Amino acid sequence: MTIAPAPSGARSLRRRILERGRDQAVPDRAVLVLHDVTKQYPNGKIALRDVDLVIPEGDFVFIVGPSGAGKSTLIKLLIRDEVASKGDVVLDGQDLARLPRRQVPRMRRKIGIIFQDFKLLPTKTVWENVAFALEVTGHPRRQIRPAVDRVLAIVGLTAQAKQVPAQLSGGEQQRTAIARALVHDPRLIIADEPTGNLDPLISWEILQLLLRINELGVTVLMATHNAEVVTALRKRVVALEEGRIIRDEVGGAYHRED
Amino acid sequence: MLAFLYFSLKRAWQGFWRNAVMSLAATATMVLMLLLLAGFWIIQTGLLAGLEFTEEKVQVVAYLQQNATEGQITALAAEIQQRPDVESVDVVTRDKALERFRESMEAQGRTDLTQQLDSNPLFASVEVKLKDPSSLKAVTEALSPTKHPIVRNVINIEDLVERLLTVTNVLRTFGTGVLVAVGLIVLFIIINAIRLAVVARGEEIEIMRLVGASDAFIRWPFVFEGAFVGFLGAVVTLAILAAAADQLNSFMVEFFRVLPLQVGSLTRDLVTLVMGAGVGLGILGSWVSVRTYLIR
Repeated sequence: MTIAPAPSGARSLRRRILERGRDQAVPDRAVLVLHDVTKQYPNGKIALRDVDLVIPEGDFVFIVGPSGAGKSTLIKLLIRDEVASKGDVVLDGQDLARLPRRQVPRMRRKIGIIFQDFKLLPTKTVWENVAFALEVTGHPRRQIRPAVDRVLAIVGLTAQAKQVPAQLSGGEQQRTAIARALVHDPRLIIADEPTGNLDPLISWEILQLLLRINELGVTVLMATHNAEVVTALRKRVVALEEGRIIRDEVGGAYHRED
Repeated sequence: MLAFLYFSLKRAWQGFWRNAVMSLAATATMVLMLLLLAGFWIIQTGLLAGLEFTEEKVQVVAYLQQNATEGQITALAAEIQQRPDVESVDVVTRDKALERFRESMEAQGRTDLTQQLDSNPLFASVEVKLKDPSSLKAVTEALSPTKHPIVRNVINIEDLVERLLTVTNVLRTFGTGVLVAVGLIVLFIIINAIRLAVVARGEEIEIMRLVGASDAFIRWPFVFEGAFVGFLGAVVTLAILAAAADQLNSFMVEFFRVLPLQVGSLTRDLVTLVMGAGVGLGILGSWVSVRTYLIR
């Protein structure tokens, strides 16, 4: 996958970031770049302070940290639910702060989001839940059918396609959510505590699935409290505390190892 | 575009029935509010039409001297007839005046005492119908005895007409004000009812936003659903009004003494009002309700 050409408005910014990136030996195919990002909410609370983060294409990154460290705010900035008070959030070459409101939906289709509580529609079947993401973004029927069948095969839910969420186990529900996140062919999967509601065995299943999706070339960003998983996988770990990045190491554990 | 329309209409239809209780509650609210609106409108229209009818009856009556000759009377009538603010002029001769008097006595069932008289005591008169009651004063002056010696006196109903005009004007402004106020209240209640239906589907909207649905895909299904609620509400309201049409008509005749407009135009206006208000408010209600869910 190659990066799409940035719109002209964002080009100079992107070049700036890429030039800076060269000094710091950052791969120039970054899916996500946060530069000097600070987020202060209207009530005065500062959720993120001077955050610098570069996530290259194909990376698998854990975001860890105690509750209130700024993980949720970070995710909200990435999907442009919130806009940074200071600094740049550049997703796939687009500066989100400068992205016109009308372009936001299009940008969101480049991201697949997975939540702790799955967020499935209870009245729709597995198949319909996944197809929903394509329907509401204006895809014609003939494209929807093969795309949904394909992602359901990836997450291993072809047999459960006609069941509704209530008939599924927690792990199957999360896999449905992952299928829905994947159906747009996203460049980045953001998983917010995806194993928070699942028992350890199922959590590993979900992790395996995310790793496989990562192997297919999709960048994965996973916020989690699951120390066991983080430590065992030895992937890149970004630790947040009180809104700052206190640690960013490749092959790290959940806790600091000195 | 066609796919979008199909999608929106399909989802509007599904949305209505999937949350049938909420949708029917919104429709019921719509019906009640439209009935209220229609009721106010009917009363306002009836009242105004009744007053207009009365306004039409305003005429200037000039009684003539006993010795006025037929030629003089005809000349006077012709002169008044030429005025631009005069609709028509009727000459009532002394004989005709007596005849009318007898008729009205008979109609009231009283004994006709005029038989006892050896001569006709009544005066001939000129009755002038006006195009607009506000020109009453000018016409009265034109007929004054100082200008036309054959005129004995002109009945002065200026005060009365002025009062009538004041009442009509007040009613027109006040009635429009009330109608607008009722319309606003109806709007708020309907927006609220539709908002409940939208809030009930908040999770769905949230998911739509997260997977990158554009505003149009989120908004239009709800707008169509709102329009459908409005349409259904309007149809039910009109059905209720149609069922009550006979009683309504006799009420109008009895209360306002007139059937003010041709039934056809009244019906047409009423259908336009109820349909327009129903569908319009439904669309506006969902537009406003769903706006809070769109990307800020």
